[in-house]
Amino acid sequence: MVQSAKPVQPIWCPGCGDFGVLAAVKKAANELKIPQHELALVGGIGCSGSIHNFLEVNGIHALHGRLLAQALGVKLANPQLTVVAAGGDGDGYAIGMGHFIHAFKKNASIVYLVMNNETYGLTKGQASPTSRIGFEGNIEHPFDAILTSLSIPVPNFIARTFSGDPRMMTAILIEALQFTRAHRGFAFIEDLSPCVTYNDTYKLWREKVQDVSKLQGYDPTDRQVMFRLCQETREKGKIPIGVMHRPSESETEEVGLEKVLLPDDLGPARADISIEGNLAGYTKLLRAVT
Amino acid sequence: MGSEGMPRPPAKILADLSVMIGGQGGDGTLTVSDLLGRYFRKIGLYVYTSRNVLSRIRGGHADASVRASIHPTAAVKPEVDVLLAFDEEAANLGSKELGPEGVIIYDSSVFTLSLPNSYGFPFATLVGGQVGQPIYKNTAAYGAVSVLLGMDEPLTRGVIEERFQRRGAEALQKNLKALEIGRRAAFGVPEIPGHWGVQHGEAHDQILSIGNQAVALGFVVGGGRFFSGYPITPATEIMEYLQKYLPPFHGVVRQAEDELAAINNVIGAAYAGARVMTSTSGPGLSLMTEGIGHAGAAEIPVVVADCQRVGPSTGEPTRHEQSDLAHLAHLGHGEYPRFIIAPGTVLECFELTVEALNLAEKWRLPVILLLDQALCQNTVTSPPFDAAKVKVERGQILVAEQIAKMMEYKAYKLTETGISPYVPPGTPGVWAEITGNEHDEWGHVSVAVPNRVQMMQKRMGKMVKAQNDLPKGNFFGPADAKIGIIGFGSTTGPIWEAQELLNGKRVATRFYQPRTLFPILVHEVDPFLKSVDICYVVEHNYSGQFANLLREAVPWHHQKIKSVVKYDGHTFRALELVRAITGGA
Repeated sequence: MVQSAKPVQPIWCPGCGDFGVLAAVKKAANELKIPQHELALVGGIGCSGSIHNFLEVNGIHALHGRLLAQALGVKLANPQLTVVAAGGDGDGYAIGMGHFIHAFKKNASIVYLVMNNETYGLTKGQASPTSRIGFEGNIEHPFDAILTSLSIPVPNFIARTFSGDPRMMTAILIEALQFTRAHRGFAFIEDLSPCVTYNDTYKLWREKVQDVSKLQGYDPTDRQVMFRLCQETREKGKIPIGVMHRPSESETEEVGLEKVLLPDDLGPARADISIEGNLAGYTKLLRAVT
Repeated sequence: MGSEGMPRPPAKILADLSVMIGGQGGDGTLTVSDLLGRYFRKIGLYVYTSRNVLSRIRGGHADASVRASIHPTAAVKPEVDVLLAFDEEAANLGSKELGPEGVIIYDSSVFTLSLPNSYGFPFATLVGGQVGQPIYKNTAAYGAVSVLLGMDEPLTRGVIEERFQRRGAEALQKNLKALEIGRRAAFGVPEIPGHWGVQHGEAHDQILSIGNQAVALGFVVGGGRFFSGYPITPATEIMEYLQKYLPPFHGVVRQAEDELAAINNVIGAAYAGARVMTSTSGPGLSLMTEGIGHAGAAEIPVVVADCQRVGPSTGEPTRHEQSDLAHLAHLGHGEYPRFIIAPGTVLECFELTVEALNLAEKWRLPVILLLDQALCQNTVTSPPFDAAKVKVERGQILVAEQIAKMMEYKAYKLTETGISPYVPPGTPGVWAEITGNEHDEWGHVSVAVPNRVQMMQKRMGKMVKAQNDLPKGNFFGPADAKIGIIGFGSTTGPIWEAQELLNGKRVATRFYQPRTLFPILVHEVDPFLKSVDICYVVEHNYSGQFANLLREAVPWHHQKIKSVVKYDGHTFRALELVRAITGGA
């Protein structure tokens, strides 16, 4: 077998929450038996965005905040690929916010994994869009991506996980991958991934996380219920984790982005583009110009 | 012949004529220009139409002009023969461009004129009364012009049928009724019928198209299968045509949330192995600059069509300029290779879009297809586009059988040409790392020395090694002429006409139309500048951007290079070029 790029040593600090995500990605891909050549990881900029360097899969390192826009191009050009976009909270919720919101409405079958450490670690600890008030002089309200995503009425898969709970994370990642591999739409996972150097929140988060599935009335098919449960959990000083929206089977995507391609279509990357193979069609097209 | 009887024989047959149509946005000036263009093409004439509209949906002054000639033309005629004015502003503005024998036809239900050779017809009132909707007044006015020019009646109707049949029977009938109203009114004024005739031409093999349509067609036939863009004047039509053309060929067209997304969508799709393009204009180009740099660093083949308009900032969205060139030549932070290629005709828009796709994939870098508003949007007769002549050259994209024989696959393998063979994701048994960070041959992030130096030389070296693979320039005029002219894009049309006019004055010129603007092809430019005593570089910007690039590339010719610039939003008229050249020679 031909030798492809080997994984390199992670650049992360020992104990970084991102190691948990890396382990979960390996485990999930293994469990689902996704061939390495069919998995494409699109990384953002920041510590978390380097994750594709540590795996034996296709990796593309996108621009800061633009990973979802690149992931969309990858998926639409070759819908057979399993596409995972992975980046941080600054990448996704600050510079990439526009693409982030549009990803829900586009609803292409991509897994988007945000490793949220509530700080800009790689540039040494500045406040991020999710930082609490008071962190590094932050006087802005923290952004809650789960509440925002629950407010977009599109059949997406939405979840929050915690690097300190690898079992839940792996299970949710497997479900997200299955969801996108069945072409059911966009799967968004925010993982709480502590930055041990600039915002070591392991202890704090371990105390605060609340598995939403344990709450009374939990119903991930009902956005209103989940929005209320998340808000109530926050009001109690807790952080809700778990599957926040799981579209029911009847809530299938009808108009999502991949529907521009027919189910048996190879897609733009693998279409026959030879002149010989298309001459009749081309000639008809050009003759229509008079 | 119509119901009006036999007109007298025309006093004069025109072989090169210009009709200007002006009014408020929404008056239908572009429709009249389109109808006349179709008519003249059908009688074998070469046609060139240009538009002068504001960036608003309705209202504000708008005009269009149609030129028809027995000779090929891609420039506005210096003097207007027929002015069709729907309001007073259009009459006042247009009459300044009217030739000494020019005729004005205007809507007298809106205003009155006391200029010589002006004939008022109450188009809006007549059509409002008899069709019920005054908006068809433009078709009535087209009817009056058809009588003035002695146009063939069935053919005059025929182009209306051709244009309006898609809109349904009712719209077609109302337009035909309006046409009849306009024709009848014109026959009622003794000076109008048979005032002029129009000579028939022999250009029956021509099609009528615009640069934006040619680019869209070139993209499809050149194997382009993924397009993402964001609406922006004057580039939007490329996306709109592709939304229609591409799906039957398994292509995908996306309207992105902004230009940042558009360029990154195409980067992702190109990474996955599709042939891609995005199109934009100045403001969008500024946003795409980030992504184009990424494509340059990561060696991802993307084509960016830039339909230049007046800048900076939002500038004048509907007006013509060629002022993005300097930005494009030095695009982005850091250094990376890029090719800028510039078609000068609608046919070249088709051909060079294919070439841009080929070059991007062969050399694995961003290619800019540099266009301008006049080239993108002005309708012109062109030889038809031929798919059988197109060659799709994909460079070194490896397939499974080739990979099976390899020991290792390095996405950024150092090679003699600087080109690394590429394997798209999804190919069995192999995967790779792609990044815009500096990287080693494997695509792993690296700051090592000498790797950085080798990788810079690998990428930047492509601009030298590709020189003989880049589109060659065109030369027009005698090789021994001592006056040189250089111009690119839509200036080719006015320059050809200026050469004709100068020939008449026994001033010989040689015109070099470069089709690769960056890197400057020194092997073309140097002998050309050697052959002339002086060279006028004609372009639509303030600072003479291409002249400056030339001075940088061939400094030893610095003294010969004279800039002729125009930056008022309008295209050059041939006479302006003649004056610039004879005034300075």
